[in-house]
Amino acid sequence: MSGPDYTVRAVAVAEPDRGPWEPDVDDRADRIEPAVDALLDGTLPETSPGDRVTLVPDAHYPFHPSSGFVTDPAVVAAVAAVVERRSGAAVAVAGASDDLVSVDRTAASLGYRSALDRVDATLVDLSGEPSTPVPGPAGGSEPTRDGPTPSVPERLLETAVIVVPTLRPTVAGPVAGGMRTLASLTDGAVEPPVAAVASTRAVDPVATVLDATTAYAGSPYAANALFAGPTAAVDAVAGSVLDRSVEDDEAVRRGLGSDEPTVAVEPVDGATDVDLDAVRAALPDGEVPPGDSMHPAVTTAYRLYAAVSGDAVPPHLEGDRP
Amino acid sequence: MIPSRLGRWTDSGGLALGVLGVGNIGRVHLQSALAMDGVDAAAAADPVRANRDWADRAGVRTYDDYATLLASEDLDAAVVALPPFLHADAVERAAEAGVDVFVEKPLARSTAEADRLLETAASAGIAVGVDHTLRYQPDVRGVKREYDEGRVGHVPYATMTRVNDGHLGRPPAEDAPSSWPLDAEAAGGGALLELGVHCLDVLEWLFGDLEVVGATVDGTLALPVEDAATVLLWGPETGTTITFHCGTYQWEELPEVNTRLRLEGVAGTITAADHRPSNFYANAAASALSNVASRVTGDEPDVFGPTYYLQAHYEALSAFCAAIRAGDRPPVDGEDGRRALELVETAYERADEAGKGGVDVPEVRP
Repeated sequence: MSGPDYTVRAVAVAEPDRGPWEPDVDDRADRIEPAVDALLDGTLPETSPGDRVTLVPDAHYPFHPSSGFVTDPAVVAAVAAVVERRSGAAVAVAGASDDLVSVDRTAASLGYRSALDRVDATLVDLSGEPSTPVPGPAGGSEPTRDGPTPSVPERLLETAVIVVPTLRPTVAGPVAGGMRTLASLTDGAVEPPVAAVASTRAVDPVATVLDATTAYAGSPYAANALFAGPTAAVDAVAGSVLDRSVEDDEAVRRGLGSDEPTVAVEPVDGATDVDLDAVRAALPDGEVPPGDSMHPAVTTAYRLYAAVSGDAVPPHLEGDRP
Repeated sequence: MIPSRLGRWTDSGGLALGVLGVGNIGRVHLQSALAMDGVDAAAAADPVRANRDWADRAGVRTYDDYATLLASEDLDAAVVALPPFLHADAVERAAEAGVDVFVEKPLARSTAEADRLLETAASAGIAVGVDHTLRYQPDVRGVKREYDEGRVGHVPYATMTRVNDGHLGRPPAEDAPSSWPLDAEAAGGGALLELGVHCLDVLEWLFGDLEVVGATVDGTLALPVEDAATVLLWGPETGTTITFHCGTYQWEELPEVNTRLRLEGVAGTITAADHRPSNFYANAAASALSNVASRVTGDEPDVFGPTYYLQAHYEALSAFCAAIRAGDRPPVDGEDGRRALELVETAYERADEAGKGGVDVPEVRP
C-alpha cells in the first residue's frame, strides 16, 4: 500500500498564560519559536552561511495580527530565528508595495520592524526589484490557453523561499494560502489561478509554514497551531480546515498535480499534536466581510428617493457617477 | 448633477456659505448646506481635483485653495473641514475676510494653538463654532433629555465608549490608509484627539466641568499616534464618576456604530441604545417614506433622516447658521472646542504621568 502523495506536519503552539493575545511581539515570538523549531526539524534543505533565504508572509495591509487576517510578525520572526540558527543563512522578509500601501508602512504598523530586530533579518520591498516572466502552468514560456504568464521577482527565483501565509479565506472565497500569497507578489495581467500555479512552480518554495496561531474565518479564532510542508499541500490542508473543497479550488488542485492527490497531516515527534477536528469545529463559518462600496442598485435607489423627497444624498451613497 | 433639495429657499439674501475642504466630512457639510433653508452654499475649495469636480457637480463655485476662495467670495460664513494643522491658518484667512467660521473638531491641535486662533477671531470680530456633532445625535440628545428630566435621579456613575476603525478600515483592504490623521504633527494626536474630543464635549455638556483623574493611552498597532485611550473623570457639579474609552482599532461595519453612553442612576439606567433605532434598515425605510410624504404635504423633510447618524451633521451646521443669522453666539462655540482640547491635553498629561499603555503621548504642542 502506497503512502500519501504529500505530508504536512502540524504542531500546537503553547497558549499564552492569559487571554488569546500577548501584545509584546518578543513574548509571542519566544512562545512560538519552540513550536517552529520542532515543526521545521528535518524539513529544511541544506543551507550554509552565505546562502540567502527569503520569507514571504501575508502582510498585505496593516490589519491587526490578532485578527488572523495577516501573518503574525512573531511567527515570521520565529521562523527567521530557526533558519538563522540552523543554517547561518542571510534571511530577508519580503513584501511588495502596491497602490494602497507601502511595504515599509505596513511592516512598521504591524510590528515587523521590531520583530525582525530580534533576528538578523532584513525587510525588502520586491516592488522595486527586477522580475522575470516565468513559464505558465503547462510548462511553456509562451502564453497558453491560460493566457499570459506572470513575472516573478528575481529574488524569489534566486533564493530559498519559505512562504508564511496566515489561515484565512480570500475575498473570492478560497483560502489565501501560500500559493496566492506568492502570486500577490507577481506582475502581469494574469488569471488568479494561473498566477498562483505558475509562480509557485517557478519559485518552488522550500517550505510553506501556515500561521494558524490566530485564524480568520469570518471572525478570528486563536487556533494556536502551525502547519508546514509543500506549498500546495499546506494550502489543501488550510482549505480543508476552512471547509473548502480542493476540487473547487483550481489553483490548489493544479498545484497538487495528480488526479486524486492524497495529503496526510502528521504530528511532530516530541511536540504537542494539533486536534484538527477540534480546530475545524471551533472555527467560525464565515467569509471576508463585504466591502464598504454600496451596490449600484442601492445608490441608484437612494438618488431616486432623494430626488423625490428633496433629501440630500450622503457621499457614501452617491455611487460612481460621471 | 448631485440633486439639490427640491423646494429649497433660494432667496439671494440667504447666508452665503463656503466650504473649505470637501474631501470627506466637508462633503457632508456641503450637502447639508445645499439642503438648508436660508443658506446659500456658494463655493468650495479643495486642492484635490476629484474633490473639486465633485463640488462643481454639486453646483458651487470651486477653488483649489481656501485662501483664494475667502479672498474672492463675498461670504457670511465658512465651514473649515480641513486637517487640524490648517485650522488656525484658515481661521486667520477667514478673519481677514470678516467671515464667521464653523470649524471641524478638533478646533486645533492644542490649547495654545486654539488660544491663538480664538484671539485672531476675537480681534476680527468673527464668530467661531465647532462641529461637536455628538451633541446633535438623536440618541445622545435622548440621554440628556432623560437625565435632565431626572428620570433616574442622581447619577453617581457614567460610562462612555466610542470605538471605530479609524484610518485603516477593515478587510477587505480597499483604500489606502489615511495620511494626516496618522501624522502626530498634522493631527496633533491620535484617538483621544480624534474621537475623544467629541465624547469629552458631550460628557461636559451632560455633567458640567469635569476633572481628569487618570488616563492611559495605548497603541494596538505600531502607529505614530495612539489608537486607544481610557480616561477616568470626576464631575463635581453632579457628583458623577465617569469612565471613558475611545479607540480607532475596531473594525466597523455600517450602519452599526460603536458609541455607548450609559448613565447609572439610583432609580435606573439611561442608555443611548434605548434612543437608537433597533433596526437601522427599518428606520431608514420609515424615514424615507416619511420624507416622501412630507414632499406631498409640503412639510420639511428630515435631511439625512434615513442615514440616521448624518442627521447630526446637518443639525449642527443648521444650528450654527441659525445663530449667525440671528446674530447670536454659536451654540457650540470656540470656547467649548477649546475646553474639550484642554481635557484631552490633561488626559495626555495624566497618561504620561502614569506611564501605562503602549505608546508615548504626543509631544506636538504647536
